[in-house]
Amino acid sequence: MLEGIFVEGLIYAIMALGVFFTFRILDFPDLTVDGSFPMGAVIMATSLTGGQNPLAGLLLAFGGGVLAGFVTAAIHNRLKVPHLLAGILTMTMLYSVNIRILDNRANLPLLRVDTVLTHVAAWAENRVPVEWAVLVFFILVVLIVKLALDLFFHTDMGLVFGALGNNEQMVRVQGVNPATLKLIGVGLSNGLVALSGAFAAQYQGFADVNLGQGIVVSGLASVMLGEFIIKSNRIGMLTLRVILGAILFKAIMYLGRFYGYYINMTPNDLKLIAGILIIASLAVTNYRRIRGKGGTAA
Amino acid sequence: MIRLENLECTFDTGTPNAKTVIKNFNLRVEPGEFVTIIGSNGAGKTTLFNLISGSLMPTSGKIWIKDQDVTAHPEYKRARYLGRIFQDPLAGTASNMTLEDNMMITCKKGFKWPVISLNRKMRAYFRDQLIHLKMGLEGRMKENVSSLSGGQRQALTLLMMVLSRPAIALLDEHTAALDPRNAAIVMDLTTRFIREHRLTTLMITHNMNHAIAYGSRLLMMDAGEIIIDVAGEEKAHLTVPRLLEKFADIRREDFGNDEMLLTGGGRSGR
Repeated sequence: MLEGIFVEGLIYAIMALGVFFTFRILDFPDLTVDGSFPMGAVIMATSLTGGQNPLAGLLLAFGGGVLAGFVTAAIHNRLKVPHLLAGILTMTMLYSVNIRILDNRANLPLLRVDTVLTHVAAWAENRVPVEWAVLVFFILVVLIVKLALDLFFHTDMGLVFGALGNNEQMVRVQGVNPATLKLIGVGLSNGLVALSGAFAAQYQGFADVNLGQGIVVSGLASVMLGEFIIKSNRIGMLTLRVILGAILFKAIMYLGRFYGYYINMTPNDLKLIAGILIIASLAVTNYRRIRGKGGTAA
Repeated sequence: MIRLENLECTFDTGTPNAKTVIKNFNLRVEPGEFVTIIGSNGAGKTTLFNLISGSLMPTSGKIWIKDQDVTAHPEYKRARYLGRIFQDPLAGTASNMTLEDNMMITCKKGFKWPVISLNRKMRAYFRDQLIHLKMGLEGRMKENVSSLSGGQRQALTLLMMVLSRPAIALLDEHTAALDPRNAAIVMDLTTRFIREHRLTTLMITHNMNHAIAYGSRLLMMDAGEIIIDVAGEEKAHLTVPRLLEKFADIRREDFGNDEMLLTGGGRSGR
């Protein structure tokens, strides 16, 4: 069970990094996530059952997520629609799109196809326990994503992203079109989210169009939990704490699922718990700010 | 350098609250000119800057920057030629980023590609530039800008603006929010940078002494129009009492006109 928490936490950490990018860096609360996460899953499942190799499936899923993000950003930029509404629109439309991608089905099992994980398992056979190999594999994947993001935020473009969430006027004065930046940023973020969905589908062994329900809330909860673990403003630490937050969030959800019955809790209550976690984080942050200890702004 | 032709700007057009903030505005600023702009609150000074920089679109009229009609260009496109500094010292920098990151973002105008330019050479260049500010900031390049004082932030904003090599500087009361000592420091830096980089400058100020002491040309605005425009010899011999006298003269004339209009209107109404 323990490695299960870590593996799921790591898979969701990729999604949480995407949520962190939009919510924290861009200051663009993006709800597309609820649609782009299952989109990644269904693209992955469809391309795997269609005989594609897993790497191509992952790339396709990432690309699909980027397109979904583009749609949200374009609605926001072009029609001057508030970002929340733009995200909800895309998310709602994606539900239908995802069913189309699955060829008018709501889910698709991945039992008899080769996924990334069957490759990992085949390699691990007779060498190391499969669960551990899977864990190490996901640690590597998340590490690569994290380092790539860190590197990106050190580039000129990454720095401007940092300024955009902070002071949009400054970006405009610099001769950069904020609309273009939002397009790129929301696109990349949803690419990561879809990538996470693609891994989730393979880990669970099926893709489902309802996979994304409330996922943005769990992503945000992970980001906020991470902010309690580490206080820093170095980008390497910021991304690290998102990953740790995602694992911690999964751990809390596991506790709720397995020991919740002691207090009469069912798995149906987990979304309530996630929401309460966020509200509690906000309350504590608020309390700290009033006391002048200067917590991270919510 | 800048040419404004019959510029007009009306807020809430077509409603009972319609208010013309800039009207029949014509201005030509030559390269290298340093224009100071004074006027009471609501005279339209900041609106004028918003129109030039493109954060506000005019109701009618044309705007030329560097002999190019930029009337339809969005703000980020015009920004290539303009360096703008606001009254609020927080407006020009990103608080939760380090000094060197801020300088990296602002040292070049235009779109930023995902390449890493902040290297040792760049840092050395930034350090050299910060030494000129004489504020000890060269030793604090890894600190967040939020730890700087208002005066330091405004000085940094000024330096960053100059490094991005704009053709025109728009300074909107950029020392008004600072204490007198810091205001003096920032003002000294301003004149030095303008001289060194031969910047064409428009500076809004509330301080009549500043408006007279600095620059090569002085504009006074009232109710969206230029009412006084002096340069050269006349500007050199200007004093605060003479400026006030001039303002009073024009105002009296206005009152005269208003009275005539009123009586005229009354007669025709009868």
